[in-house]
Amino acid sequence: MDNKLKKALSIAAAGALTLSLAACGNNDNSSKNGGDAAASPSSSASSAPSASASSGEKVTLTFQNIYVDPNTPTYKTAHQIVDQYQKDHPNIKIEFDSLNTDQQKQKLKTQANAKEIPDITMVNPAAQMKPFVDANLFVPLNDVVEKNGLKDTYQSGLLDYYSFNGNVYALPDGNNIEVVYYNKDLFAQAGISNPPATFDELLADVKALKEKGIIPMAIGEKDTWTGSFIFMNILLRTNGGPGFLKDVVDGKKTFEDPAFVDAVSKFQDLIQAGAFEEGATSLDVDTGRSLFTSGKAAMYMLGSWETGTIDASEVGPKVAAFQFPTVGGKGDPNQFMLAPGTAFAIAANSKHIEEAKDFLNYFTLNFPKVQFELKNAVGLPQKVDGDMKAAGYSDLAISVADLFGKVNGGDISFDNTMNPAVSQVHLNSLQNMFVQKVDPAQVAKEHQAAYEANKDQ
Amino acid sequence: MSSFAFRLPEATEATTLNVLKVSKTAIGIFILPALILYVGIVFVPILVSFYTGMLNWNGIGESKFVGFENYKDILFNDNLFWPAARRTLLYAVASMIEIPFCLMMAVLLNRYVRKANTLVSIYFTPVILSVVVIGQLWKTIYNPTSMGGMLNQFLINIGLDSWTHTWLSETNIAIYCIYFVSLWQYFGYHLLIQFTGVQNIPNEIYEAAKIDGADGFKADRYITLPMIVPIFKISIVLAFIGSLQSFDMIWVMTGGGPAHATDTIATYMYTSSFLSQKFGYGSALASLLVVLCLVITVVINTVLNKVDKKFS
Amino acid sequence: MKFTLGKGLVFLLIGILVVTQLYPLIWLFLYSLKTNDEILSGKFFALPKVWQWHNYEAAYQAGHYLKYLVNSVKVTAITLILVILLSSMVAYAISRFKMRGGQVIMLIFVVGMMIPLQSTLLPLMKIFSPLHMLNTHWSLIIPYIAFQLPIAIFILSGFMRSIPTEIEESAFIDGASVYRIFRSIILPITVPPVMTVCILTFITIWNEYVMAATFISSDRLKTLPFGIYSFVSQYSVNYGNIGAFMVMGAAPVILLYFVLSNRITKGMVAGAVKG
Repeated sequence: MDNKLKKALSIAAAGALTLSLAACGNNDNSSKNGGDAAASPSSSASSAPSASASSGEKVTLTFQNIYVDPNTPTYKTAHQIVDQYQKDHPNIKIEFDSLNTDQQKQKLKTQANAKEIPDITMVNPAAQMKPFVDANLFVPLNDVVEKNGLKDTYQSGLLDYYSFNGNVYALPDGNNIEVVYYNKDLFAQAGISNPPATFDELLADVKALKEKGIIPMAIGEKDTWTGSFIFMNILLRTNGGPGFLKDVVDGKKTFEDPAFVDAVSKFQDLIQAGAFEEGATSLDVDTGRSLFTSGKAAMYMLGSWETGTIDASEVGPKVAAFQFPTVGGKGDPNQFMLAPGTAFAIAANSKHIEEAKDFLNYFTLNFPKVQFELKNAVGLPQKVDGDMKAAGYSDLAISVADLFGKVNGGDISFDNTMNPAVSQVHLNSLQNMFVQKVDPAQVAKEHQAAYEANKDQ
Repeated sequence: MSSFAFRLPEATEATTLNVLKVSKTAIGIFILPALILYVGIVFVPILVSFYTGMLNWNGIGESKFVGFENYKDILFNDNLFWPAARRTLLYAVASMIEIPFCLMMAVLLNRYVRKANTLVSIYFTPVILSVVVIGQLWKTIYNPTSMGGMLNQFLINIGLDSWTHTWLSETNIAIYCIYFVSLWQYFGYHLLIQFTGVQNIPNEIYEAAKIDGADGFKADRYITLPMIVPIFKISIVLAFIGSLQSFDMIWVMTGGGPAHATDTIATYMYTSSFLSQKFGYGSALASLLVVLCLVITVVINTVLNKVDKKFS
Repeated sequence: MKFTLGKGLVFLLIGILVVTQLYPLIWLFLYSLKTNDEILSGKFFALPKVWQWHNYEAAYQAGHYLKYLVNSVKVTAITLILVILLSSMVAYAISRFKMRGGQVIMLIFVVGMMIPLQSTLLPLMKIFSPLHMLNTHWSLIIPYIAFQLPIAIFILSGFMRSIPTEIEESAFIDGASVYRIFRSIILPITVPPVMTVCILTFITIWNEYVMAATFISSDRLKTLPFGIYSFVSQYSVNYGNIGAFMVMGAAPVILLYFVLSNRITKGMVAGAVKG
């Protein structure tokens, strides 16, 4: 993965490409896939097959999405691309149905039931989208990713999270990794010179920060997945590498495996050391983050998508990021918790599947470029050709982007791997650890019991 | 069903007031439009819920009929259900206890304040503001000391440092903190209903009673109380049903956490159906909630009918 | 009237309640003028450092205030009118008509109050889908009416039972039809409880989001709560704009409420003397 990213950046440095949307047709792609030139010679003809098939018939596509806030770069990106597409295809109208994330999830489930899924919608990867795929609610997008070389733009292996039985069913809008952001000033105040390289050092730093009256690590554990995301990183280390949950699913391991029990007990050590702010379970992720961005907390551990918000805050210039350390000498810091993003899918019940496919191809081809321009390039799913420094990105953004280059495999979140029922048990039992001391073996047992009870879900 | 001794809301001897003999057509015109709409939109989903409660289903794919298994699991094998049910009922009782206080305020306002309407309106403000606003507001009050929580600051300022808590994160007190907010928010709601009732009692009756020497609280005992019973009953039932379904406030303030400590039947149902994606199980919970509501409503009604008789 | 200690205490209580119940409004107003950081810092009484009036501008434009307001007004108005009409008719029938099954009908309506809204979404979607009613305002208005009917009937029938029957009886003897009695006698004297029902229905519908989000997809049909949630992104929330939007969303309710609540007055029941 890192090689490709570097290559992409070097191509950009050569200044061969401009990044303006006006030129955002498929020129660059068609030049790469010279052989396909006949199929897609220019942006206006990129949709030639379907356009001629529908011969200018008026088509409205509903695009259900989670880009609600007009002030955010992703909203601007989506609308900019759609506007351009509608200009190029006067017979196509794209109607946005923008909802906040929780509501969109619930709406989609309800719609799935009545076979009323909008033409284009968004789903989460792997285990979360599997029920939809199993019920044949989405169409395979193999032809979409083959067209105009779209497939090669994605980071290698990423589409696997959206593929079932050899078919791709959704195309992600992001790909993030979990990092630990830290406030260099606060670290210095507590006399810490370097970010921790081992879990024990992390615990020592927590102690040092606490003594100075600084909240060591901010979290918004009302949103239970935040704690799970940290825990999973510990598990990734104690297991000596990725794949623990997969082994459980495959029947090779159980939750009562020492690696899991050890991870629980290490997570408990972190909590009991006072790493997190008091009352964490009633604070949502925004309030948790604000403790960090207002300079009250020294560390904040979450997905790299947070980079933009942290950059824009008052502590922005003081923040850097480090990789989660090894735990008990185990694990490789270059293995990360991965967060493949929410992804676009096309409904099998759509009346305009061809048109939707053509649009989605156009949309996903242009998505990374526009995102890059709008300073939202950290955590893109696709390789993008551009020099971040020259484009005015901050040091933090560039350093986080560099961490992507170090990625040497990893795990995805618990709720993307296990079925929802088991995930809920997991999330709640971790939240419980914030309010009382538990017996790690007991937690492991609960997990195993929940897994066995809901195996066939 | 017809043997069901269910009498809602009725004034004293109200049954004898069914006086108008009207044609079947008239009855149909008065009742059917509402009834058809209602049965189609609300009643059918209830029946569907009962049925869905018998499925093993993730809400999206194939379903499997399992009979009463979900219901049995909930009642006998689920160690989250009964605590949630207990919290739900406790809250229902608490919100019922609030009503007499609302009635008292309504009577006092009616007696001592000339333009009481304005005051009733002011007390109603928290109801107008959505639960999201109220929840956010109270979260800043309950915040831990390190985040400048108002309540803790106050306790520290008056020297009660030892009384401070991380209110919404302690499993044994969080739910009470949420109850309190809900009761506070809905004070104005029930005050409005009670006030409308009190206002509806004609002045002439009080004036006549005054001549007979019944004034002040004596008049309240012999006039206001008996005449307000039907309205009182309305509030009680509304408070009960409303609180059994309490969802929004809990969702905004704690999301049912920490670790299920503030789950009620309604939040547990939501979590089961939409987060755990055990849609059949969630529907069974919803059905049980409906049954529970029904049983309790009947109980309240019976009790209140007795009270009613005693006063009149 | 003499001034007693008891009376003093009553006024003290009234005063305290005015402060505690009114403060949220002030709090929300201040909230709407703060930056995200100021809001999230959780200071209860703090004034904004710089008054962020542009929150309103952003909320007005980005939240599509006018468009959503028009939709909300339309949906709410139609719902209110139909709820009042249908519920007062049923309430009257239940409390007055000589017929069998009145209690059963009441029971059916009361049961409806008990079903959690979340569990009706799926069946409703399946009902609306073949009727092509999804993504129309009717897909909101119809369930809103249905869900508000029970409370309305419940409250109105309670009041109607307390109206003495003499007037109707004499009108009946004079040959007035039941429709005319309902329209000319009953409706006018039930204005105060009808106002109460209006208020309670209004606030429920005005803030309803779950059903709206599920059944409405087109931007041109969306209602005010969508505006609030349009500032809740996947990874961040724009609290200042939410606050501003909430103030603008609540303004019409407060206005209407104060207008309606003044009609819940004693004079209205004159002539309907009980006893």
